[in-house]
Amino acid sequence: MILSTTKSLLLNPLIQLKTPPPPPPPLKFRPKFASISARLDNSEQQLNLSVLRFTLGIPGLDESYLPRWIGYGFGSLIILNHLLGSDSVTAAQLRTETLGISLAAFSITLPYLGKFLKGATPMDQTTLPEGAEQIFVMSQNVSAAQKEGLAWATYVLLRNTSTTSVLILAQGALCIRGYWNLPDGVSKDDALDWFKNNIEETGLSDLKDALYFPQNADAEFWSILPQGTRSVLVQPLLDPNPSTNEMGNIEGFVLLASSMRYAYSEKDRAWIRAVSNKLRSKN
Amino acid sequence: MVAGRILRIAIPCIPGRPPPPPPRVPIFPRFIRASSVQRKGGYKGPKPGRDWIADWVSKNDDAVRSLPIYVGGASLLAVLFNRAVSGIAPVADASSSQSRSDLLTLGLAVTNVLAGLVWLSIRPKSIIPVEPQGVECQVIYSHLPESVVSEILWAWESLSNVTCCRSLVIVYDSQCIVQIGVAAKSMNDGEPFAVDAAKLMQGSLCQGVLKSGAQSYLANLSLYPGRSELPFLPSNTQAVILQPLGDRGIAVLGGDTIRGFTTSDQAWITYIGEKLDATLAKYMNLVEDFKVSQAMFHETKDGR
Repeated sequence: MILSTTKSLLLNPLIQLKTPPPPPPPLKFRPKFASISARLDNSEQQLNLSVLRFTLGIPGLDESYLPRWIGYGFGSLIILNHLLGSDSVTAAQLRTETLGISLAAFSITLPYLGKFLKGATPMDQTTLPEGAEQIFVMSQNVSAAQKEGLAWATYVLLRNTSTTSVLILAQGALCIRGYWNLPDGVSKDDALDWFKNNIEETGLSDLKDALYFPQNADAEFWSILPQGTRSVLVQPLLDPNPSTNEMGNIEGFVLLASSMRYAYSEKDRAWIRAVSNKLRSKN
Repeated sequence: MVAGRILRIAIPCIPGRPPPPPPRVPIFPRFIRASSVQRKGGYKGPKPGRDWIADWVSKNDDAVRSLPIYVGGASLLAVLFNRAVSGIAPVADASSSQSRSDLLTLGLAVTNVLAGLVWLSIRPKSIIPVEPQGVECQVIYSHLPESVVSEILWAWESLSNVTCCRSLVIVYDSQCIVQIGVAAKSMNDGEPFAVDAAKLMQGSLCQGVLKSGAQSYLANLSLYPGRSELPFLPSNTQAVILQPLGDRGIAVLGGDTIRGFTTSDQAWITYIGEKLDATLAKYMNLVEDFKVSQAMFHETKDGR
């Protein structure tokens, strides 16, 4: 059975992709940053620096990128100043300008470094891949329970992580959901066969450990992924009892693609592993 | 075939949880490297490379947080020193181009210092998990079919592995369906404290949650007077999440760390709650239908 959604429906569900704070309306819980301060328990004396956290109050503006913009702005002003300086440039001024330019360069890299610190939350930079259409296809000859399991797993992965496209191969059944670039000749009905052929070629079904590409990579299997994919996570579904079979029974894999770099944190990957455990066969 | 080292993801080892897994090869937090399998048809694709900067930043978290402060402070001093050495008076006006470039550099230095202070302020407090005091138990309502039980066990396994959840109690249709994990010891014997489902459902905590239909997160349980309504949880449970299952049930999750459930955990728990509600509702409705049809059958038999 192939279920396809029309274009008119596509924007709504996927705009509600996982958004880091602020939280989605129905859940009533405190945003994480409301009470974090640098004041610790008795064992360590530290300043309470939380007063320095300020916001310009413009929605959609990410203050953590402010150093980058200031770096660009001031750096260009320094260069402008140098060029417009009418008289000869003294050595002292040159020294200051060199220092200023290197500081500007350092400021520009600050947001990038800040992304890797503990407690950093990524801004929602998920963009929808261009030219892709939203599809939802599933193999036929799938039991009702399996169908429900696949549908729920894909739904939850799309909602809760910054995934734009998901592909699951579990016990021979294929389920594809999200935004995908289907090549021109392939209609929605043939999509399933097209995916099946391509996956056999990539050899992903024999993967034993999870693969995480946080940035763009030159991988062969990326040709089936939509354009604009920046990070990919492939989680194999392994048999829970590896001792019974020395290679471990590989029952399939879950492939997640996102248009953000570094899209999957440790916690995300742990949850994805948990969801993939649900898709394993229950022996 | 290239034989590579297999670096697995360390199945999350949360500090303080006994027994800690044996130390393995160094954990690289930002990616996982897969090795090619020694057999025909193994995955021969590319593997992700090392991410040096990400690893370095994650390892030296504290040092990197204070780095911009030092850089900014040093530049500040350097600018003033430069002015002093060049014999220019330290006057903050924008008349000469030297002053202008000094001001711009000072502005950048201050930005760096502030960025460093902001990074320091958002350092997450390291909270130590508290080992819950109680007795391990696994009580599941006996009349559940295999599929429902396996789904519940999957939910428990995911929650205990990924979050700081150490106790799980599910009550549905005023019956205690599940009590897994660490439970408080009851007074008389060393048995786990049984859950009084009816009393729980009548209590103010559950009524509030069911009425609003939204998850309730008690991040620091010691601050809440409603603690007395959850006697079956270990006495030193640090955080509790109350997740309504539709309007017929509730799931109580007890965690071992204050504010231990993150925002993403909460979102995932909501979805798992919805799934469990769908599964249990389907089963309970089947049971109801069966009972109704049995009653009708007996009626027609007697009525004859």
